Amino acid sequence: MRIGVPHMGNLYIPLKALFQRLNLDFVIPPVNNQRTLSLGVRYSPEGMCIPFKLTLGNLIEAAELGADTLLMPAGSGICRLGYYAKTQEQVLHSLGYNAEIVCIGVSQRKLLGLLEAIKRLSNNASWAKIISAFRFGLAKLNVLDSIERAVQKVRPIERVKGTANQLFAQAVRATEQADDYQSLKRVQKDYLEQLSLVERDESAEPLVVGIVGEFYVLLEPFSNLDVEKELGKLGVEVRRSIFTSEWTKFSLFLNPLGVNEKDRLHKAAMPYLKRDIGGEGWETVGEKVLHAKDYDGLVHLAPFTCMPEIVAQNIMPSTKENIPVLTILCDEQLGKSGMLTRLEAFVDLLKHRRRAKVKV
Amino acid sequence: MEAYLGIDVGSVTTKFAVLNQSDELVFHLYLPTQGKPIEMVQEGLKEVKKQLPKDIDIGGVATTGSARYLAGVIVGADLVKNEITSHAVGALHYFPQAQTVVEIGGQDSKIIIIRDGIVTDFGMNTVCAAGTGSFLDHQALRLNMNIEQFSQRSLESTTPVRIAGRCTVFAESDMIHKQQMGHRTEDILYGLCQALVRNYLNNVGLGKDIQPPVIFQGGVAFNQGIVKALREEIDTEVIVPPHHEVMGAIGAALLVHEETSASKQKSQFKGFGISEIKYRTSSFECKACPNLCEIAQLSLNGEVLARWGGRCDIWERSPTS
Repeated sequence: MRIGVPHMGNLYIPLKALFQRLNLDFVIPPVNNQRTLSLGVRYSPEGMCIPFKLTLGNLIEAAELGADTLLMPAGSGICRLGYYAKTQEQVLHSLGYNAEIVCIGVSQRKLLGLLEAIKRLSNNASWAKIISAFRFGLAKLNVLDSIERAVQKVRPIERVKGTANQLFAQAVRATEQADDYQSLKRVQKDYLEQLSLVERDESAEPLVVGIVGEFYVLLEPFSNLDVEKELGKLGVEVRRSIFTSEWTKFSLFLNPLGVNEKDRLHKAAMPYLKRDIGGEGWETVGEKVLHAKDYDGLVHLAPFTCMPEIVAQNIMPSTKENIPVLTILCDEQLGKSGMLTRLEAFVDLLKHRRRAKVKV
Repeated sequence: MEAYLGIDVGSVTTKFAVLNQSDELVFHLYLPTQGKPIEMVQEGLKEVKKQLPKDIDIGGVATTGSARYLAGVIVGADLVKNEITSHAVGALHYFPQAQTVVEIGGQDSKIIIIRDGIVTDFGMNTVCAAGTGSFLDHQALRLNMNIEQFSQRSLESTTPVRIAGRCTVFAESDMIHKQQMGHRTEDILYGLCQALVRNYLNNVGLGKDIQPPVIFQGGVAFNQGIVKALREEIDTEVIVPPHHEVMGAIGAALLVHEETSASKQKSQFKGFGISEIKYRTSSFECKACPNLCEIAQLSLNGEVLARWGGRCDIWERSPTS
């Protein structure tokens, strides 16, 4: 049995750590690239969204490397993602790969469901070993996200553009290579320190833009054409509420205990949308209402054909909490130059708006 | 005399606008890009030089449009600005009370919503070019007439036919079908205008609060049929400004004037002499990672001036390595 996984941002790093500690045979397919996308687009049913296409491309590339047990998240009540795995398995079979897709249903059984799945995959490894490996994976995830948060702060105000991105790329590699807690801690300390020393324009008051929308396109820069980096180049500070580490913390540990981080967002969205519509639609509306005062604008990312986000997109203009929103539909047809033109115009709009506010 | 130059290099046409110290348009030029943005910028500069007084002093240059970065490197732009902001600034200069700007160009169409002199929202066509200038040109050609004849004939329509304007391909097959049924050409032409306006409003204008006065800019505003169809469809005041086709260039020139007066910096303009230089463009596939980005580069006498197109910035940061 050889395990293969799809990509989502840097998630492969904690997964790799987990598999290594359990001595499993696994492959990590190449990070998302043009070929992944082409494969995914070619073999996806018509009208499928970009998360489906890219993960399908990953699974095909993993199968090419000999993976026969492919992991996919699944569950009920969360948009089409619920039947991704079944559909993708059919595609793989029709392509002649005899691979099985194992659904990791985190939405119902939470932490327990995930740990049980790992136990099955690891050929009944001891619970002590599983929990130790899982903890190490989580530790890597937390380190990556803590560094990324720092990067988001430095990007817009650094003197030499690109410095933070370069450090982040190095930090990701170092995190991947760290093989015990001690070296992992060192990586975190090192890079947070280096980032704090990056020369910056202290007088700058960067525009603050919230990145909201669908989970996958938010976390996979390949699918959104590096929208965060591009905003950083334009001198905009990005705030993103979704981080994989946060999501894991809540959905695996805290939600089962009755703590719901999304309650705030849902409550804020209530006057305009009263129920969950799948995906992150409800939260998107909530973010707009909640942050109309403290952000300059929102960039709303949605996969093309994503029903929940389309509903959210059409509700947002009618909220009385007023803040400019730029919706970007992510798809293989999204072109970089078109997106940059929109981002530049959006940033101009936000600048003028802030200036007008100051005058009043 | 001090002057400010705005250059708008679009996918289909290249526009030049020269403003004087008091922001009055002293010269403008409208050229087909013909897929050769560099040559057209050079040719345009020659023409600008010819038309302007000898003692002209260029106080600032701005580029805009889809080739703004390329053009910016070539002329030594002081400002490179996106075409949405440029069009809004151009419109507001002539119509401070404007609330909506409709801009339909060669391959792009935009809508800009303005309130109290500030842009509050905008939209731009995404993957579909139906309803833009290129499509109209193509249909005119197919009907064996030029675009001016298209414009005139469409006004003669009495009973326009309904044409599916959702998509260029379907619009075309629908048009052929209507021709074969024996409908009059002018009715088909005006039907096409209506379809394109509907398509524009349903796509680019979707969910936008269109309030008068509406300023209609871009090359397609030359087309009387489209102007008429737009007026009918939104049933409100539509103004086509005299220099609607160069408004983006005018906006860019206004912006660079404002910026250089604020910063008091000397212009980076490389001078009219660049019209004679032979630039070379080329591209290659970067093999540094599995993304295999296509990198485009601009060089002069073997020296690379600029590179674009990578997902990361390793090439942009060190264009000479």
